[in-house]
Amino acid sequence: MYYIDLAVAGLSFGCMYAMMAVGLTLVYGLLRILHVAHAAVFALGAYLTVIVANATGSVLLGFVAAMAVTPLFGMAVYRLLYQPLLGYRPDVPMIASVGLLVLMQDAFRIAFGEQGVTFTHNPYAFKIFDLAGVRLNAVQIAIFVAAVVIFAGLHLFTTRTRIGIGWRATVSRPRIAASFGIDAVKVRYLNFAIGSALAAVAGGLIGLLNNLVDPVIGYVVSYKALAIIVLGGLGSVRGTLIASLVLGMVESYGTIFIGSWLNRDAIAFLALIALLMIRPQGFTGARAA
Amino acid sequence: MIAALQLEDLAVRFGGVHAVDGVSLTVVPGDFVGLIGPNGAGKTTLIRIVAGAIKPDRGRVVLAGTDVTGQSTASRVRRGLALTHQMVRPFRDMTVLDNVALAAGHGRTANPLLAALNIERRREEERAAGILARVGLAGAEGKLADSLPLGQMKRLEVARALALDPQIILFDEPLAGLNQTEAARQVETIAAVNAQGITVVLVEHNLEEVMRSCRRLIVLNDGRVIADGEPQAVMADAAVREAYVGDGSGGHARH
Amino acid sequence: MSAYDISLISVIGLNVILAVSLNMISGFCGQISLGHGAFYGAGAYAAALAMIATASFPLALVCGTAAGAILGIVVGFASLRVRSDFLAITTIGVNFLFTGFVRKQAWLGGEMGISGIPASGLGRTGNLVLILAFAAATVALSLYVGRSWMGFAFRAVSQDEDAAATVGINAGAYKLAAFGIGTALAGLAGGLYAFFTQFITADAFDFILSVMLMAMVVIGGIGSTFGVVVAAVGLTLLPEAIRFVNDYRLLLFGGLLVLVIRLAPGGLAGLTRKLAVLRPAKP
Repeated sequence: MYYIDLAVAGLSFGCMYAMMAVGLTLVYGLLRILHVAHAAVFALGAYLTVIVANATGSVLLGFVAAMAVTPLFGMAVYRLLYQPLLGYRPDVPMIASVGLLVLMQDAFRIAFGEQGVTFTHNPYAFKIFDLAGVRLNAVQIAIFVAAVVIFAGLHLFTTRTRIGIGWRATVSRPRIAASFGIDAVKVRYLNFAIGSALAAVAGGLIGLLNNLVDPVIGYVVSYKALAIIVLGGLGSVRGTLIASLVLGMVESYGTIFIGSWLNRDAIAFLALIALLMIRPQGFTGARAA
Repeated sequence: MIAALQLEDLAVRFGGVHAVDGVSLTVVPGDFVGLIGPNGAGKTTLIRIVAGAIKPDRGRVVLAGTDVTGQSTASRVRRGLALTHQMVRPFRDMTVLDNVALAAGHGRTANPLLAALNIERRREEERAAGILARVGLAGAEGKLADSLPLGQMKRLEVARALALDPQIILFDEPLAGLNQTEAARQVETIAAVNAQGITVVLVEHNLEEVMRSCRRLIVLNDGRVIADGEPQAVMADAAVREAYVGDGSGGHARH
Repeated sequence: MSAYDISLISVIGLNVILAVSLNMISGFCGQISLGHGAFYGAGAYAAALAMIATASFPLALVCGTAAGAILGIVVGFASLRVRSDFLAITTIGVNFLFTGFVRKQAWLGGEMGISGIPASGLGRTGNLVLILAFAAATVALSLYVGRSWMGFAFRAVSQDEDAAATVGINAGAYKLAAFGIGTALAGLAGGLYAFFTQFITADAFDFILSVMLMAMVVIGGIGSTFGVVVAAVGLTLLPEAIRFVNDYRLLLFGGLLVLVIRLAPGGLAGLTRKLAVLRPAKP
């Protein structure tokens, strides 16, 4: 049963990583920029969720607030930071992105304290359900449900709606899409908006699961997300989903073995570097770096 | 006599297409060879294989008697190969003079250690100035390469190739984008280069100019050589006409 | 001079070595490295261990330099494999790997670090003089390299590796050279640091330091040795001069990075100008 618990934990983390990493891979696929600051969006979402939840007493309102604000923030980052830098070498916007992440994480630390913020009313992490012998807490169930809804929704959106199809086309075949009159700029905003909203959900969920949102929450997940998008194939949503679940499981089972000579953060980076060295263009090879 | 360049059964496939499908040819030192063919014939791919940018699936590239098939572009350049690009690639943030002086200093940059021990640039800068004058860019030395109009950038490419003191220069569409006068001038420069004894292989679309200047014409189609010889004779060849005309009306099935 | 002054100037000297050496890798040669702290740390730990084992100060410094260089060349090989922004990520990873690894190793002191490193024998002032001497030497070396053909080749590699190949420059060899030299100097600085403090922990070599160093290089202007020196001195003094700034260092460095890159990618004498070369569109 222990191993099943590990699997549940692994899958739930995997789902959260997926929600977070999707935004990152979409930006890369569209603009070839490593949007490292996406982790700051994630953190912003987490903080908004907990702050609003504590202020209003409703966790749901917290999520709503986060999902409403972060897309605006994400779009602003695109407009103010990336758009003017699009013609330059890829590391130029990336350094700016790193700077923004560092800046925001420190801003969170200064604004909300080094120790972070906890939910004043969070029974969810402790409500355990027993489903056919498998034990899950309420947050994990919420994660699975959210993941299914989100990814199914994304799939439907990009295959059944005009805007969604246009979006997908722009990501995979920008020039053809342009010649069909699809507005590339609107697509970019949409891209950042959706990616950011998803990251916010992931942030809020992680906050609930750990009952804590602290200033390093962004860092930890940022390099994992980078490892994920490389593994899954840059620009590929499906690849990202698979890679996220794989990472979640590997972490869950893996720290049993490696945890002694390398700490958890380092493990993710080790994996990332190894991947980049073996196959710089990612594994499902969706698009070459 | 050792051939300036020898290609032996080169072939490369991209996806399902044989971009280059068994090309062999020998270039005599000092020759002026034109390489033409319809769009997609494989000219640029072939040049890139010779330059070292693409690895062939089979075949050899022999430069002045040495097999360079496995070697990098930089290594081939140091062995006497120079090339100009279809899409010009000067060092945009360097001055025109620096662009050429860097090429002139290829002896000093052969490896980092050597480069670290060398600081004097006077000689290379003087040589560079001389070459720039020859290609008609005298006076532009101090300008940033980025600021030049296309015609001048193309001349800069030639200047840079010359500064390498090469045995053979591959010109990849040096006339593309140039107007009549500029093109004529460019061809003059290239012919003058050839007159010095440097072997020239010229890939071009602009048939008229190519016809007038080269001494040997090779026609590529579908990755294969379909004609090779004296320009007039080659252009009169039925197969060559077919390749150009057939390509336009969509008659040829590509295999 | 008070102990505080000696301390402050020593740190300035070390930061100058670090920033100028990073500038050689990222500025001259265009290889973005956001993990310079790892090489600094490798040098410090190697020097500390060597000193404890052999009690030879010169040998310890040599070990520090070598450790930085070896790690640096290994990372340099990574630069041959991946594109510039992925290289930057790789270097961040190397930094985290270094600190993560060191924190878990008992023989490296774990979380507590290594304390009680034997003194160099030069005394505080002596150490300071040595640090400043090496800082001056580093600046001189940087100026020399910048003027030499090596610097010329570095610039070419930084702007356009393929074009560099067409003028006979082996980009890979030069990247390795840049990493080797830059990281050796960082390792040397690490060795000097170990004797300066006689107590080292992984915290001193973390990603935050690397970000600060990159900010110095960006602000000072990549390619401009003097600009970087000024930025290094300035950014080291700033938290000291304005007390509360110390608490906001990350905010400051992160913010500076964003502002400088965003507002002057085509302007500020250096980094961004070199990086701001518009590339021909890739298909």
